[in-house]
Amino acid sequence: MLKIDHLKKGYEGNEILKGISLDVNKGDVISIIGPSGSGKTTLLRNITTLERADGGHIQFAGVDKDFQKLSSQDIQTIRRNVGFVFQNYNLFNNKTALQNITEGLIVARKVKKSEAEKIALKALERVGLSDRQNHYPSQLSGGQQQRVGIARAVALNPQVIFFDEPTSALDPELVGEVLKVMRDLAESGTTMVVVTHQMNFARHVSNKVIFMADGYIVEQGSPEEVFAHPSETRTKEFLTDILANV
Amino acid sequence: MSLNTDFMGKVAQTAIQGVPVTLQIVLVALLISLPIGCLFALIRIYRIKGLEQLVKLYVSFVRGTPIIAQILIVYSAFPSLLNMFIGKVAFSINPIYYAYIVFTLNSIATLTEVFRSALQTVDKGQMEAGLMVGMQPRQTFWRIIFPQALISALPNITNAALYLIKNSSLAFIMSVKDITAIAKTEAAFNYNFLEAYLVVWVYYLIICYSAEVIFYLLERYFSKFRRSTKKTTFFNWKPLSIRQPDLSADADLAKGGRDEHAQNRPFKKRL
Ligand SMILES: Nc1ncnc2c1ncn2[C@@H]1O[C@H](COP(=O)(O)OP(=O)(O)O)[C@@H](O)[C@H]1O
Ligand SMILES: [Mg+2]
Repeated sequence: MLKIDHLKKGYEGNEILKGISLDVNKGDVISIIGPSGSGKTTLLRNITTLERADGGHIQFAGVDKDFQKLSSQDIQTIRRNVGFVFQNYNLFNNKTALQNITEGLIVARKVKKSEAEKIALKALERVGLSDRQNHYPSQLSGGQQQRVGIARAVALNPQVIFFDEPTSALDPELVGEVLKVMRDLAESGTTMVVVTHQMNFARHVSNKVIFMADGYIVEQGSPEEVFAHPSETRTKEFLTDILANV
Repeated sequence: MSLNTDFMGKVAQTAIQGVPVTLQIVLVALLISLPIGCLFALIRIYRIKGLEQLVKLYVSFVRGTPIIAQILIVYSAFPSLLNMFIGKVAFSINPIYYAYIVFTLNSIATLTEVFRSALQTVDKGQMEAGLMVGMQPRQTFWRIIFPQALISALPNITNAALYLIKNSSLAFIMSVKDITAIAKTEAAFNYNFLEAYLVVWVYYLIICYSAEVIFYLLERYFSKFRRSTKKTTFFNWKPLSIRQPDLSADADLAKGGRDEHAQNRPFKKRL
């Protein structure tokens, strides 16, 4: 469904992504793990065209092109078929929880307002926040904001939703509520690509784990393969480090 | 020393005819300079080639010279300039037009800086979130970014408006018949300067105070989405309570994320 080939990206001569290839199938829940600075955020931002990759090929939603040759039409197509959940939520601060969700439906998808509100309410219900529909982001806890962020992505019914460390900015006691929502999504068949440091999620919810370091995919496979039998030393070291800190 | 209160009453009556003139200058200057200031701010933020330098130059010219010099230059240059195009009529133009020109040009520079800093307080993530729900950059700008920037700009716009009101009193130099000019004339006829100036003082006080209240109400109306986090600020109903520019506005909007490289990039680079 989504196929990335040899994606490359650098900043001012520093190569950050050194040729990443990635296959996402419908229903996949892929966890991307790896040390900080390894290029995970950059990868998501380049796939979703928030940044323009220096090289590589994308096959997605009818677009089949080198990144550098994407037209603005292609970019629009890609953006309309992905969802993005940000590390720091990025809810529209001047919109209520409900409006955060209806905004994209009404403005980008041209859905009628009443229809959009129905969809938005359903999405809020799904993340357990129907009673917060008229709250502004500043009136919500971090966990609630992130759940609205997830609802906002879900409501657009994209082919795949990208999560960039969705729980990293949260107080520890709020992580659980967000992970639960993500687990529910995964179980209902939503295609997800999740950058995370939550090893439990990576291990028990996803069907595929990718370990990234220094701009490469070092190792990938089923959670069982990567966690129980990592074949690369770097993976072993990373897992030992991170699991020691849990 | 005793004040001639009869005279004060008389000046109050004649000077009130200057109030609409003062208000006209202020309103015209504000209404024109608000959109242009916003446009100039965008030119600077999006670094539009060529234009960016021009705007920078313009702003530093205006900010680097006293308004009195700007008034004198416009007032002496424009009539002769116009004279070349439309002939002698140029010298019979109502001087209030020159006041419009000076104060508009001056406010544009101030408001350019006001909008520029306000737009920068809006987190870059807002634009990205807009793009990721499928909105165009332009739609995201007008629906998400601009409304937030406007609110953080309001305290500084208020200040700019108050300065404008007070500076407009210099219009008498261009023989505009505003509050100050009328009172001055009255005073000169009767040699009751203090009385006349006290009246002027009260009029400006009332105008500035009303402007402050209006802007306060606007701010309160538009910032409903921020009210809960901000400690509720009540309006200080005492006169002369002009608040300082709200330079910490960004603290509210831009919640610090941990992904600091993703925070510091200006949103234009991420379109
Ligand atoms: N806009 C940018 N300009 C310069 N360097 C950047 C930029 N974005 C990311 N980087 C660099 O790219 C590297 C990878 O960053 P990132 O993708 O955020 O890693 P991760 O998400 O895995 O922690 C880091 O060294 C970071 O400093
Ligand atoms: Mg990251």
